[in-house]
Amino acid sequence: MATYVLRRLGAALVVAWLAMSAAFVVLRGLPGDAVDATLARAGASEAEVAAQRQRLGLADPLWQQYIHYVGGVVRGDLGRSLVSGQPVTEMIGQQMGATAALALGALTVGIALGLSLGLAGGLWPRSAAGGLAKAFASLALSTPVYWTATLAIYLFTVVLGLLPGTGGDGPRHLILPVMVLGFHTAGAIAQVTARSIREAATLPFVQTARAKGLPEAEVAYHILRVGLLPVVAVIALQLGFLLGGTVITETIFVRRGLGRLLLTAINTRDFPVIQGVVTLTALTYSLVNAVADLLYAQVDPRVRREG
Amino acid sequence: MNAGHSRLALVILAGAVLLSALAPWLATHDPRHAVPADQLAPPSREYLFGTDLLGRDVFSRTLYGGRRTLGVALLTVLITLLPGLVIGLVAGYGGRWLDTTLMMVMDALLAFPNLILALALIAVLGNGVMQVALAVGVAGIPAYARVTRAAVLEARALPFVEAARALGARPAAILWRHIVPTVAPPLLAFAGVTLSWAVLNGAALMFLGFGGDISAPDWGIMLADARASFRTAPWTALAPGVALSATVFAINLLAGALAEHPANR
Repeated sequence: MATYVLRRLGAALVVAWLAMSAAFVVLRGLPGDAVDATLARAGASEAEVAAQRQRLGLADPLWQQYIHYVGGVVRGDLGRSLVSGQPVTEMIGQQMGATAALALGALTVGIALGLSLGLAGGLWPRSAAGGLAKAFASLALSTPVYWTATLAIYLFTVVLGLLPGTGGDGPRHLILPVMVLGFHTAGAIAQVTARSIREAATLPFVQTARAKGLPEAEVAYHILRVGLLPVVAVIALQLGFLLGGTVITETIFVRRGLGRLLLTAINTRDFPVIQGVVTLTALTYSLVNAVADLLYAQVDPRVRREG
Repeated sequence: MNAGHSRLALVILAGAVLLSALAPWLATHDPRHAVPADQLAPPSREYLFGTDLLGRDVFSRTLYGGRRTLGVALLTVLITLLPGLVIGLVAGYGGRWLDTTLMMVMDALLAFPNLILALALIAVLGNGVMQVALAVGVAGIPAYARVTRAAVLEARALPFVEAARALGARPAAILWRHIVPTVAPPLLAFAGVTLSWAVLNGAALMFLGFGGDISAPDWGIMLADARASFRTAPWTALAPGVALSATVFAINLLAGALAEHPANR
């Protein structure tokens, strides 16, 4: 198991490093960044722009910039914003709390809702509750976040006046965005849970359990022990949807956070900031998936032997 | 998933495509023409779905919006499918070294959540319809390549493929005659999933304002415009949202039916 843990975490770090390099090549390899845009708008001469690029190290050959960048990342330095000159790590630090609160809240809601819907749809596929659960899950997968958010604000803020809608930082302002994003996160979790439980229910040992006369509740427990295994993996994968979803949710609810930081950086072509946010996202996502794999291997030894 | 579901999905999809294709004949107004005097008019005989903040007809914009949104999604799927298929086939069939290298690159791209990758690409490509299709399309390639490769590896191990190899059939012939027909059904099902992402993520980038022409009729742009008006005029968000959700719902239903088809079990 120990070698498996090291190998899986090592693979995750290699993938994250490759992802960082890919982001570097794509974002730095092309002309036209914030320095050009900002200074040209301010009416700076070409010589002044060139001098500024020199100062920022943007005139060096790409491979030198890359070594410099990787060296910085290892020391926890992601460079400085081309627009404000502020260190990127500081900018990310200021916004991370808001996004983490939204993402963790939505993940909790998504898991709770997704598991309950999945259990209902998987254990009683032919009942009304099961049908309703399936319909709810497919609704979560088909509607775009930016539309359900609009509907939720209309219903809970405009019509019912129960919850604050857009803007604001307080805990009450977190409720609607968390519910909306959590609802969508639940869709895939519910679908995979239901399918996996239905498949587990057809396995031979279930028939054996029934044949030897186990009460139905205990049979269900046996089914769940097997059927819930793949759910860990899908929850980790849903984090990817969730991290993308925070960008849209923050926009529509006018909240601070990494999503807004990223969108602003894209609009000003502030490449170090884009790179920092994107790399951090990839690192988080691949580490969480590695941990999910490890959990999976912990409960299901077949995985370790194959890997 | 039963035949009734598939039929419902086909009806919805055919409806969406037909209404979009016939937009020039069905629309009652110019989708871009603003009538300031009629801004935020509720649904009426003149404006079937009401008007938006600039006094444009929501009904006509929704019809024309389908053309743009679905057109971009189709282009996006092509941008994903062709390279994804080629990379997956080459990796699954081209030997160990090619496989390892290609999959390492794909895994590096898969480390980014889909929408985040599309956003990073938009940062480089700039705003515009083609740019959105390219960004969302390229962001979908790694997943499609991985699914293709997995299907090819599974097909290669099938007894009749091994038999063909043992009989001395040429690799190209095995690939074309045995592997491609075997992997087609699961890949078609995943193409459905890809289309549903293409619609949602394409419209998301439009919603976020990366579509270039901000006055164009487009479901994503309409929902973005509606942010300023839905509190007093909910109809501005209703039609594009229903159209988008119904289309994606139908695509998901079809993709699900394909995935559960006997050929894929």
